[in-house]
Amino acid sequence: MPALTAIQDWLSLFSLPFMQRAILGGILFGILGGLFGCFVILRRLSPFGDTVGHGAMLGVVLAASFQLPSTWGIIGYTVIVGVAVTYLIDRTNLGSDTILSIVLTGSISSAIIGLHFLPGYRGNLLSILFGDILAISNLDIILLLLLTGITLAFLLGTLPEQILLTLNADLASIQGIPVQLYRYLFIILLSITIGLTVRVVGILLVNGFLVIPAATSRLICQEFVPFLATSAGIGGLSGVVGMIISGTFDLPSGPSIVLVQLAVFLGTVLLRRQS
Amino acid sequence: MITDKCFEQAAVRVRHLSVLRGDYLALDSVSFDLLPGTHTAIIGPNGAGKSTLIKAILGLIPKTSGQVLIFGCTSKKLNKLRQGIGYIPQKFPFHGSFPLTVAEFVGLGVPKQGWFREKRRAVQQALERVNLHHLAKQKIGTLSGGELKRVLLAYCLVTPRRLLVLDEALAGVDQTGEAEFAALLALLKEELGWTILEVSHDLDSVKQCCDGVFCLNRKLLAEGCPHVTLTQENLQQVYGGQLPVTSYQLPVTS
Repeated sequence: MPALTAIQDWLSLFSLPFMQRAILGGILFGILGGLFGCFVILRRLSPFGDTVGHGAMLGVVLAASFQLPSTWGIIGYTVIVGVAVTYLIDRTNLGSDTILSIVLTGSISSAIIGLHFLPGYRGNLLSILFGDILAISNLDIILLLLLTGITLAFLLGTLPEQILLTLNADLASIQGIPVQLYRYLFIILLSITIGLTVRVVGILLVNGFLVIPAATSRLICQEFVPFLATSAGIGGLSGVVGMIISGTFDLPSGPSIVLVQLAVFLGTVLLRRQS
Repeated sequence: MITDKCFEQAAVRVRHLSVLRGDYLALDSVSFDLLPGTHTAIIGPNGAGKSTLIKAILGLIPKTSGQVLIFGCTSKKLNKLRQGIGYIPQKFPFHGSFPLTVAEFVGLGVPKQGWFREKRRAVQQALERVNLHHLAKQKIGTLSGGELKRVLLAYCLVTPRRLLVLDEALAGVDQTGEAEFAALLALLKEELGWTILEVSHDLDSVKQCCDGVFCLNRKLLAEGCPHVTLTQENLQQVYGGQLPVTSYQLPVTS
């Protein structure tokens, strides 16, 4: 009964603790990316995701230099980059694209120079470029659950304010909404999410988690709350399906999840064109 | 009738307000009192500082010097009184596919406290007031310029206000829409006692609808009742050689 054996093998693969952690991680990262992505695309922050994501490389190098866990190095550095970029965009008249390019190239150059002084560290660099969801630890899951709880409380608790300041910051300011405080809190939570997501899908694919589910949801939703829920749903579901495909066909996990998100996006575009 | 008491309780009091934008002095020591329950227009040529004045009053841009009091408070101490201020900006840019319906947008103007059903009723009433209740479920990105301005007015109407500030709110609105908008503003002033401050380029409408006018060209050059203030002489001083088109016969002197 080769078919039965194959099914048993398949089931035993998904009963392994590391695989279960990876699936839970995929769902939580998908939901977080879907939620943040809605605001990222409406506030035109997609290049920000790229810059902060690439900044993670320097975070890894700094963590290795000071012999700290790479998670803390990445989170610390992405938060600093996120806040610094927002501050510089506010305080200079150079334009956000210029500031983001300067920070992006500065971070990568510093990381490469830093690596020069850390011989034998190239393996970890590869994992940060392409990510490894299977290496997700119990600590990562705890951090993720904590981050998801805080994000849900923050975004849903201040939803009308977040929508208004996304739409028009002047109207929000006149209503008495602390625009700058909310903007910086959003940026800090987004930077932490990007920092953690980088470890899973890598620097090169992190923006897909933020942009693709939200862009798909934007194609089909007229109202804001369904837009948010659909985006988070697509993110979470793509996490499960991507991990199942990755486990079944022995494919890299991060790209599998992103390709599932892409398939949902393309399917939605085609369905909309037909209708 | 303007009494001393009215003067003391000015809805907006501006004293020696100056605003520098880069090296350019956009406003130069502007002072005035906006009386409660009045409809006042700010007129002046392009670049006269009209929008700057409004934004500085509302605390949206920093002032270089001077004082602004709204309902007797500085903008930092307004707190809950902020809910009493409605603002319709000159430009309201957003992406056409922003996933937000008209009803959702108007609902953003309702204070957080209160029940969902009450909020829904308030949104419905505000939309009925601007004759747009049939568009409640439409995406805001699909509205015409005039409809969007009326939706912004509904956003201001959804909760009781004391001060309504409009920055060229009628730009892009057709004549019918303009008349409806003006009638609604008159109603808000007469029935609800709202104080209205608007930037306008339309001198005819200022004469018809407003109780007061501020003539601005970086400095406040003239102020008072439109019929008395909008003289050829004053307008020449404010606009230089380029007087705006008006169907009114302007008095030669005040």
